[in-house]
Amino acid sequence: MSFPILGPLLYHGRRPNIPWSPVLGSFLEVMLVVVAVLDMALAEMDHAIRVFGDTCTYARWVLKFEGFDFEKKDMSLEVATVVEDAVEYSFAMEYHGPPITRELPRAVPINVDRIPVAAVVSPTPFSDNLSLPVVQPISATDILSKKLPKDLKLSSSSAELLTVSPTSVIAFDLRNNEVSEGSYSKELGLGTETSVSPSSVNNSLGEREPENCLSNDICALSGELSSDFECCNPNGGFVGRVESSGALGSSDSFEKSREFSGSLSKSRLSSGFKESIDFNESNRTDWESNESVLSVDYLSSRVSSRKFGDGNHESNCDVRRAPVVTFCDIESDDENINEEFSRSEPEVVRAKKEPAIKVRKGACYRCLKGNRFTEKEVCMVCDAKYCSSCVLRAMGSVPEGRKCVTCIGFPIDESKRAYLGKCSRMLKRLLNDLEVRQIMKAEKLCEVNQLPPEYICVNGRPLYHEELIMLQSCSNPPKKLKPGNYWYDKVSGLWGKEGQKPSQIISPHLNVGGPIKSDASNGNTQVYINGREITKVELRMLKLAGVQCAGNPHFWVNEDGSYQEEGQKNTKGYIWGKAGTKLLCAVLSLPVPSKSSYPSGEQATSMNNWSRPDYGEERAIQKLLLIGYSGSGTSTIFKQARILYKDTPFSEDEREHIKLVIQSHVYSYIGILLEGRERFEEESLNELRQNQSCDGSTPAGHLEGNGEETLYSICPRLKAFSDWLLKIMASGTLEAIFPAASREYAPLVEELWSSAAFQATYKRRSELETLPSVASYFLEQGDLKTSKAVEILKPDYKPSDLDILYAEHVTSPNGLSCVDFSFPESAYDDDDADSGDLHDSLLRYQLIRLQAKGFGENCKWLEMFEDARIVIFCVSLNDYDQFAVDGDGNLLNKMMLSKRFFENMVTHPTFDQIDFLLLLNKFDSFEEKIEQVPLSKCDWFDDFHPVMSRNRSNSNNANHPTMGQLGFHYIAVKFKRLFSALTGRKLYVSLLKGLEPNSVDAALKYAREILNWDEERPNFSLSEYSVYSTEASSFSH
Amino acid sequence: MSVAELKERHMAATETVNTLRDRLKQKRLLLLDTDVAGYARSQGKTPVTFGPTDLVCCRTLQGHTGKVYSLDWTPEKNRIVSASQDGRLIVWNALTSQKTHAIKLPCAWVMTCAFSPSGQSVACGGLDSMCSIFNLNSPTDKDGNLPVSRMLSGHKGYVSSCQYVPDEDTHLITASGDQTCVLWDITTGLRTSVFGGEFQSGHTADVLSVSINGSNSRMFVSGSCDSTARLWDTRVASRAVRTFHGHEGDVNTVKFFPDGNRFGTGSDDGTCRLFDIRTGHQLQEYSQPNSDNEVRHVTSIAFSVSGRLLFAGYTNGDCYVWDTLLAQVVLNLGSLQNSHDGRISCLGLSADGSALCTGSWDTNLKIWAFGGYRKVI
Repeated sequence: MSFPILGPLLYHGRRPNIPWSPVLGSFLEVMLVVVAVLDMALAEMDHAIRVFGDTCTYARWVLKFEGFDFEKKDMSLEVATVVEDAVEYSFAMEYHGPPITRELPRAVPINVDRIPVAAVVSPTPFSDNLSLPVVQPISATDILSKKLPKDLKLSSSSAELLTVSPTSVIAFDLRNNEVSEGSYSKELGLGTETSVSPSSVNNSLGEREPENCLSNDICALSGELSSDFECCNPNGGFVGRVESSGALGSSDSFEKSREFSGSLSKSRLSSGFKESIDFNESNRTDWESNESVLSVDYLSSRVSSRKFGDGNHESNCDVRRAPVVTFCDIESDDENINEEFSRSEPEVVRAKKEPAIKVRKGACYRCLKGNRFTEKEVCMVCDAKYCSSCVLRAMGSVPEGRKCVTCIGFPIDESKRAYLGKCSRMLKRLLNDLEVRQIMKAEKLCEVNQLPPEYICVNGRPLYHEELIMLQSCSNPPKKLKPGNYWYDKVSGLWGKEGQKPSQIISPHLNVGGPIKSDASNGNTQVYINGREITKVELRMLKLAGVQCAGNPHFWVNEDGSYQEEGQKNTKGYIWGKAGTKLLCAVLSLPVPSKSSYPSGEQATSMNNWSRPDYGEERAIQKLLLIGYSGSGTSTIFKQARILYKDTPFSEDEREHIKLVIQSHVYSYIGILLEGRERFEEESLNELRQNQSCDGSTPAGHLEGNGEETLYSICPRLKAFSDWLLKIMASGTLEAIFPAASREYAPLVEELWSSAAFQATYKRRSELETLPSVASYFLEQGDLKTSKAVEILKPDYKPSDLDILYAEHVTSPNGLSCVDFSFPESAYDDDDADSGDLHDSLLRYQLIRLQAKGFGENCKWLEMFEDARIVIFCVSLNDYDQFAVDGDGNLLNKMMLSKRFFENMVTHPTFDQIDFLLLLNKFDSFEEKIEQVPLSKCDWFDDFHPVMSRNRSNSNNANHPTMGQLGFHYIAVKFKRLFSALTGRKLYVSLLKGLEPNSVDAALKYAREILNWDEERPNFSLSEYSVYSTEASSFSH
Repeated sequence: MSVAELKERHMAATETVNTLRDRLKQKRLLLLDTDVAGYARSQGKTPVTFGPTDLVCCRTLQGHTGKVYSLDWTPEKNRIVSASQDGRLIVWNALTSQKTHAIKLPCAWVMTCAFSPSGQSVACGGLDSMCSIFNLNSPTDKDGNLPVSRMLSGHKGYVSSCQYVPDEDTHLITASGDQTCVLWDITTGLRTSVFGGEFQSGHTADVLSVSINGSNSRMFVSGSCDSTARLWDTRVASRAVRTFHGHEGDVNTVKFFPDGNRFGTGSDDGTCRLFDIRTGHQLQEYSQPNSDNEVRHVTSIAFSVSGRLLFAGYTNGDCYVWDTLLAQVVLNLGSLQNSHDGRISCLGLSADGSALCTGSWDTNLKIWAFGGYRKVI
């Protein structure tokens, strides 16, 4: 069938897939159009297909292009020219893409044979053109000199010059990946290897030593060795490995490693390393005696592997010189040693990272140039130093601050903790401010760089992560916390290094570490404070401060300095009460309590300068998701939150915008009223006519002459305005025209308002269904005579917060709006303010309001809110007797629509772990409405049978809940049941009067409470866990 | 006319439309004389084979703290812009994997980002229903943030996709959740044309993706939640040039084939399809039966420069490389060592075709390049 006449319609924007809509008018026409369009499409397609021939042109095109760039695989350059029938459209001639820049590294195929596997370079090339430190044999010089040549010969047979294409991404990358992976596991192995138990080989020495040697660049001899030893590891995973020599048997490895660490220990002594490491002296001599057994093979492998490390870095930095790479692997050693020692090694010791290469003193670790005076940047992990031209390449994108690319993911060297986040001049010169700041922030905040909690031992027990955070985030944290053993007096807050007098008074009552031991500060005075035997200095201070210390008393000292004797109730005095005592303490270098540790009054001020660990900052923002079906009052809540918690809820621009919106709303309200007026006029006219016709005396002329005056008639001028306004409203361009035309029409509106007809209409406004309930707020104020509308329509009108609150559609009409806030300080005045609340006030909240409109069946972007802490779902109680059209065009109860939306949200996979708070909004008008309209108007609530006392007159007293309250509870229970049926969890419900600030404030605080409960839940389980782990560790000791 | 009568007629009309649509389909099938895979095979084409190390990850761009949602390459230089849920755009140098810019966004819920053809500015859009343009050369403000140089506001729903018109820094096409696509003039910040929406010819659900024809920048395709893709001519905003049916789920992504005569789609139904814009035919369907019946959607696709390979990212973390001719899987990047841990949310090929960048919900981006013949243990 064909409708040629209708054909042109096709080109006027009518489409085939229009679902029939009643608005379009004649059904038949649409039908015909649809059919015609489809028919046309058929013909069109037929034609198109005939023109373009078969679909295989595509295949030909591809074939022709195949082998162009990406797939070098089937490089069949023969062009598939199977164009049998001359196609008039010749596509696919040649490649017109953007020119291929050479900047991007191209993949250069690399021959397997040429991948560097293992090789030892002949001594000559690296000794003269690379400035590498020469390896010194340790002590057995003669053995070395005898054996070394032989080794070199052995390995030189497999030696090969490797030419890594400098631009090859792959080669570079592979190495990177392999290195990072390989080095990690190898690092672990290393950690255990070097940290053998004290009985056999020195603990922790081996682990710390090499690094220190390196950093100090002092001991060339064994430092050399250690760095070599390390440098093999990151590269160990590279490609296949070759045993450096047959002599490396597993049986030897033990000896060797002992040997190795023995030499290390020596170097430690020579470098004058001060840090106290529990080091077994007697064992040391043992190793030294073993030293002569050093295997030379081992050493030679070091040499060559070091070379490899260099070469590796060379190719990294695109230096055009083909690096001479030799490679050797000592993994076999590591593994054997692991086996050997892991059994006797119960403690967990962190692996340390060493720079991959060892260079001459003062030179850059990458380009090997420069001397000790050139400015260099240091890797926070392995202490490698890089000059300004290499640092960016060596450190890459610095995701964790200044670390070599290979060191990313490793904890920093503790001795460098003080430099965290302190930028060097060099970096500032190389990068712009923003970048530097970002790097420094990353360095300070990233998880790996934080102080490892197990390094800090308080009262004989290593800390857990949470304890460390607690310690660092208390109002008065220990200064310059370094790894080490400390004692902490929980009652008075005294804090010191183990075996020493107190160094500081920190916040008391922190639940960190174990119980304090009596010999914590190694005192011998037999005077005790809170169970700790105090030192002589302290005793002297006490005596000078006037504390009676005769008879070796046991004191109980509180954080405020008040002390009492153990077992007695009365406070005997305040230690730090006298002004002189503080001076005395300063002289004796004893701590005095800092101001902020005074409780109560001053706490609020101390909150401000409370030092929280910075990395907590990110976590502190809590996202509250506010959703609800349209008309449920989410925007009111959102605006309330802004007014409540923001100093400037709305900016000038926003107010200006809102003003325009409100003005055009007022015009639309007036328009609706005018429309109503016309209707009423017509009705009353009809009535009039009927009356007159009933009278029977209706001469036509008389009727016209009478002018058809009714109560609702207005003067022609206003009539013209009314007609015009209605026309504009019908055309839907009200918003575009009105705010601008406001000045002109404001006087007219005033006149209109004062006209009797309009007033009469306004009185019957309840009959106008399209008029929103808020219209009365904007139209009248106080008495009916002076309209607020007149006020609003003045050009200099400034909307008040209340106006904004009442206004509809003023906050970004589309999508999402969010506001950051924190609950104001006044929260402390609440009765239930406890310490949790104090902490809480620093938390930032983000209220995110989402529009219901966008939520489809499988809303894709809801996943973005999976980090929300709570979903606040808003339902308007008023909705139970209202109807709206849903997406399919069915008229449904709005409460049911709300319910459906609720079900969708609750069952959405994104929210399956998130708490829901249901806010039943508009309770104020619900209370009024339920008296008139029964709740059973909504199908869902048909079993609502409230038991009401008959004497309704005094139903407002407490004993008799009002109908509204009953209804609220009923609906709340309905939703709760629905929620638990869907999820099996608990729904929080609160009622709300969106227009009352206090009500919204209370609701949001309730949400905060829910979050707090939520936070405490894991805390409970956590404390249980820590109890268990304490027991476990105490047993093992 | 009573309501019942109207409804009856409506039903009848729908019925007619459906039968006509069916006829259309039949006719189309009738005219489809060859299938691509068969033809290619008859030409003696063997499927592309890749070893596990032929396409290897050579860079991991770390720096985002949230899920990566979108990325785009510069047409010339080797720079990438990526958008993440941490509320930042990061501009990377793909070669050195360094960040050149980190732009904090006013609205953290960003869904898409794009590089301008000149590489001077980037655009992004998200749940704030705006498309924001940042000039990379403009000075940062006192907080170190790059100021927004232009806000394109006018969409009534989230901005799901944006792409600059090739070779024009001043024009941009966005797709939005308000069922429309919009062509913007960036200099004025105004809409040049709106595709769909009020006109009855457009998408009937959220538009999720746009792709502009590289050889004829007047044509672009859009993919939508109504499980269709539509072809548009920027000069004729009133109606879509053609509608492509076939998918059984939301069309998440569309991408023009390098020659501009075809385009690929990726959908929630787990398949990718290739359509010809001249015949309206579906040329190929790329679907891999999944072993463990889980639902996996195609999130993003890209073609190699020749068009022989199609890269498709899936929600389960797979990233298949398809042979477009023979519709066979060449490689699964998701099964390779050091692949992404999370869903692949976006991918893109560098302009010269030498590298592929994938972005994932594991907050990382990875750059993959062709490794040639090599055995790496």
